[in-house]
Amino acid sequence: MYFAGIDIGSTFTKVVVVDSNGNIVSKIEVPTRAEQRKLANKVMVEALNKSNLSLDEIAYIVATGYGRFNVPFADRQVTELTCHARGINSIFPSVKTAIDIGGQDSKGLKVKDGKLVNFVTNDKCAAGTGRFLEVMADLLNLKVEDLGKISLKSTKKVKISSICTVFARYEVMTKISENIPIEDVIAGLHYAIADRIIRMVSRIGIEPDVAVTGGVAKNVGVIRAIEDLLGYKVLVPEDPLITGALGAAIIGKNIVEEALKRGEVIKRGPRRLEEVTFYW
Amino acid sequence: MSESVKGFKFVDEVCKNPIKKVKELKEKTGRKIMGYICAYPPIEMLTAANVIPYRVFGDVNEPITEGDRVLPPVICSYVRSIVDLSIKGKFNFLDGVIWSHSCDCMHKGGFVYTSIVGKPEPYVLEIPTTVREGTIDVFKYELSEFKKWLENFAGKEISMEELKEAIEKHNKQRFLVRKLYELRQQDPPLISGVETLKVISVVEALPVEEGNKVLEEVIDEAKKRKDKPKKQRARLLIWGSIIDSPALLQMIEEAGANIVMDDTCVCSRQFWLHSQDPSIKTTGDLIENLARSYLLENKCPRIYLGSYGDLKKDYKKDLEERFGYLKDYIENWKVNGVIIHSLRCCDVHGYEVPQVKDYLSMLGVPSIYIEPEYDAKSLPPLRTRIEAFLETIS
Repeated sequence: MYFAGIDIGSTFTKVVVVDSNGNIVSKIEVPTRAEQRKLANKVMVEALNKSNLSLDEIAYIVATGYGRFNVPFADRQVTELTCHARGINSIFPSVKTAIDIGGQDSKGLKVKDGKLVNFVTNDKCAAGTGRFLEVMADLLNLKVEDLGKISLKSTKKVKISSICTVFARYEVMTKISENIPIEDVIAGLHYAIADRIIRMVSRIGIEPDVAVTGGVAKNVGVIRAIEDLLGYKVLVPEDPLITGALGAAIIGKNIVEEALKRGEVIKRGPRRLEEVTFYW
Repeated sequence: MSESVKGFKFVDEVCKNPIKKVKELKEKTGRKIMGYICAYPPIEMLTAANVIPYRVFGDVNEPITEGDRVLPPVICSYVRSIVDLSIKGKFNFLDGVIWSHSCDCMHKGGFVYTSIVGKPEPYVLEIPTTVREGTIDVFKYELSEFKKWLENFAGKEISMEELKEAIEKHNKQRFLVRKLYELRQQDPPLISGVETLKVISVVEALPVEEGNKVLEEVIDEAKKRKDKPKKQRARLLIWGSIIDSPALLQMIEEAGANIVMDDTCVCSRQFWLHSQDPSIKTTGDLIENLARSYLLENKCPRIYLGSYGDLKKDYKKDLEERFGYLKDYIENWKVNGVIIHSLRCCDVHGYEVPQVKDYLSMLGVPSIYIEPEYDAKSLPPLRTRIEAFLETIS
């Protein structure tokens, strides 16, 4: 039996298919754009082709992420908070606190016995997210994926005082005009993000082991900054982007397993593998 | 509206345009209408003076524009909304409006209103914020001063007989609201959170006798109804700042929950649902009875109701003393999750959030803290958090 999770995030859409042992048989990561959020079916077809499976062979499909209601072939919608908690638990069972830094949102999760028990999210501002780094990379004419590496050369990071993306951008422009080395400026940006996230997650209490996931977890500079501020090492999955989709697939697997245990028929949604228009 | 429209239908009709209904009443009866912004002014005195009490609401769908000119955004957006609507003339149908020292925002907001807007005619009622020896006397004095102003405003003296009669009518209203809330103890509840708020907001816009009639009709209909709310995965209590529009409750209920109880203004707090007997005594010194009941029975955190002067005592005991009534709500309404709601810049609720959270953890009841803007547009991003909370408790 196979189970799929589809996570339509603000920046990336991720699909993960797992088998009955919970092993990943295929995964897809594509950028989310307005039209791609509409074309969730295309991403799913791609994932099915990659694993040589048909839609009927997928026992259960769980959709998550902010676009979860635009997936007409999903059997159930579950929030990304619950999915991330389940996903991180399957990757690192020892993790008690997960920090997810996505493209437009960031969240802190407390996990106990594989379940989400408490959480905190940013809700009004995207300053502590991937978008912040994208804006800065754009300003510095660099690729966002190169920022981490460059910042490791820093010997004296600058202090970025503002937590507002727009004002911080101005601050970066000022530092550059003062001829401060670019790696020191970037390192400063990484600390600004790390500081903001840690303050937010502290509201629910940060308990090790700590894992960091989401697109920004690919940035080694941000991870170093978080470790420096926490005072200990954090865990980062090999592919930090797919945690939510993996959790969604595993939630589907659990739903089916429990239904089978009770001898019940699995309740699936009316699956339609077609393009949708926005309705939520 | 025809006279035959009753109960829930009547509530829906009035909700569409409560001001129109009140204007009609004013024309028909010739009675003056007095707005009030908080649950502390004793509206029994208004009823006794033959003045119709009208609970003033802000508007979560109206962008604050004029209000920002006189009150900066660090001030509670509910108060700013009311000042904004006042400047825009939305409350011109009122003959007067009672501001009160419910919190700093309403207190100073009242004076800003007085100097900037001025019409309808305001009165700023002083209300003590801690209770100790002599506090009741202080409030009693404030109420007798208010009574003098009100008599002048209404053009008549208020006799003790009239006040007694008014208290009895409002006692009946508190009793009926209690009956209404009991319908929510069932699973699924016979009346939803959104419906309750709508009923209460209509009751608070009408003269007490008419409000009581609406309550009786609604209770009667709800007991027999076939279209009751569906059973959901969670039975929630919502605690906190004022909720005067169904938008937030609707979003929460649509996310898959039954809101079965509230500890908020404008709903249960105004009717002292926690107390054994919510009646105000009609014997002895009536003004003192009003002062005592209003000051001690409302559980709004604008007032400190713990043992004053004994703050160093046991934290758990203090929580029990101040929030113990929530335990009764949770048990009697079979609540399995609590939404802690503090409007942005609502300091009186903000101060209590960690303590309410602690108290709920002591009881083993999960809770989520939300801090929305007073603006319907700000709600959609909250929905994922509410859904995730529901996933954690069910």
